[in-house]
Amino acid sequence: MTLRGWALAAIPLLYVVSLPWYRAAGAAPAVLFGLPDWVVVALACYAGIAVLNAAAWLATEVRDPGEDP
Amino acid sequence: MSGPALGLSGLAVYLAALALLTAAARRRRRDDSPADHFLAGRDLGVPVLFLTLYATAFSGNSLIGYPGAAYRHGFAWIMATGFMLAITVVTHALAPRLRPLAAAHGFVSPGDWVRHRFGAEPAGPAVVRAVAAVMTLALANFLLAQLVAMGHVAAQVTAGAVPYWGGVVGLALVVLAYETLGGMRAVAWTDALQGVLMLVGLAALLAWLAGEAGGLGGMTARVAAVRPAAVAVPDGWTCLEWASTITLVGVGAAIYPQAIQRIYAARSGRTLRRALALLAVMPLATIVVVTLAGVAAIPRHPDLGAIEADGVMPLLLGEWAATGPAGAALATAVFVGALAAIMSTADSVLLALGAVIAVDLLGGDRTDPATTRRGKRAAAALLVVAVAAALEPRLTLWRLTELKMELLVQCAPAFLLALHWPRLRAAPVLAGLAVGVAIAAAPVLLGIDRLAGVHVGLLGLAANTAVAVAGSRARPAPGRGDVGNLSHGPRRAHARHG
Repeated sequence: MTLRGWALAAIPLLYVVSLPWYRAAGAAPAVLFGLPDWVVVALACYAGIAVLNAAAWLATEVRDPGEDP
Repeated sequence: MSGPALGLSGLAVYLAALALLTAAARRRRRDDSPADHFLAGRDLGVPVLFLTLYATAFSGNSLIGYPGAAYRHGFAWIMATGFMLAITVVTHALAPRLRPLAAAHGFVSPGDWVRHRFGAEPAGPAVVRAVAAVMTLALANFLLAQLVAMGHVAAQVTAGAVPYWGGVVGLALVVLAYETLGGMRAVAWTDALQGVLMLVGLAALLAWLAGEAGGLGGMTARVAAVRPAAVAVPDGWTCLEWASTITLVGVGAAIYPQAIQRIYAARSGRTLRRALALLAVMPLATIVVVTLAGVAAIPRHPDLGAIEADGVMPLLLGEWAATGPAGAALATAVFVGALAAIMSTADSVLLALGAVIAVDLLGGDRTDPATTRRGKRAAAALLVVAVAAALEPRLTLWRLTELKMELLVQCAPAFLLALHWPRLRAAPVLAGLAVGVAIAAAPVLLGIDRLAGVHVGLLGLAANTAVAVAGSRARPAPGRGDVGNLSHGPRRAHARHG
């Protein structure tokens, strides 16, 4: 699989982890870096998604007819 | 200088800059063709394309509506970053295939693709008009949300010297003027200015919020003391709603007509992918800040109602302005940045509305200057209607956004599926669209917005797609020549379609 393919395949997995469905609902969270820990996990996933998506775009071929590779 | 005077001065400087950019854009105009007016002659380079995409995607909803929603939902609103990120993820299914076709065939409006793909089938013209009608409704709703946000910010930035209605009417006229005079070139250039203002404003806001709350830890502790649920781990139901929202916004915003126009307006395919790579990281720099702003307001103003919460960002900035001259100057800069963000989205929506109505709904020739004039008049007429509706806002900004998305996603099969599946046919797409819109309209009529945590519009999209796929599969498989409209070559006749 290409770099673009790996990056796009990893993004849905990060989305699944970003939602705290696997945590006990209503629990008072630990504070990490000044934020609730589940918020920090979500932000880490979003940072991963942003980087992978940007890499995927740079690896994507969008070529107009007649445009040099 | 007093608060109102400072606000009015900031507003005046900003409007003067817009006037100068519009004049420069008008001088650069090559002709009166729809391609020049609606797509800036297809010559947007990476910096301007990136900033116009950014300023268009992050709107009044982002800067005014999202802090209000964060105030209502607490830290759970951080997941809005996820749905804004989803837009450029879903665009992978659209731009790499649509852009080369647009460049080869000279597309101007979103419906040009639909016409190219389905136009030779008997149901093709009806699909073009149906998609255009749904897009027009969704865009009109979007425009309404921007006008409401404009009114709130203008009133706040001038400390009431400009009333809410004055902000709505006056700024709508400004947007109409530069969109009409300068077209996409003026819109993109002013978007670039507005994008820079927005970034600077948000950076200043983040610094103030962190300092004011004694750091993020202090802010979180204060929120937890006032409203523990705003900090607690969300329940499974909320997670399901978020998964639904990420899908809804990712699919809906990827096919925004104004975003599709920017795919057409890029100077080249390479320019487009570079701009999209930059845009992919921007939700982190934008939505995180506005979410923290909304959450920070919870302990400061614990008793705001749902509609009042949409005014939470202006409220915070008003407090910042009251701390002294430096706070007033910086808060004014953020206010102008917020106003810039709202106006940049409103102008893009207005321009897209002109193209969709003139070319797709009314069937105008995309090379005829008369089509440009018709588009300008249509956009102006819709703006008048939206201004009238904005003077009495009845829904939160976020609910307006959801309603727009639930309608817009019904157009997804005509773009995302049609670009990838040659067997898709016009008549099933039309039937699917009718089914999807009927289901999406149910929440408005019955007062239901979700079923089992899933947006009704997404359920409509599932039914819509099922009808389009099943109907297309029930028809004979196309011959080799029948899939030519997915290629970049000259357009072929499709006599065997349908």
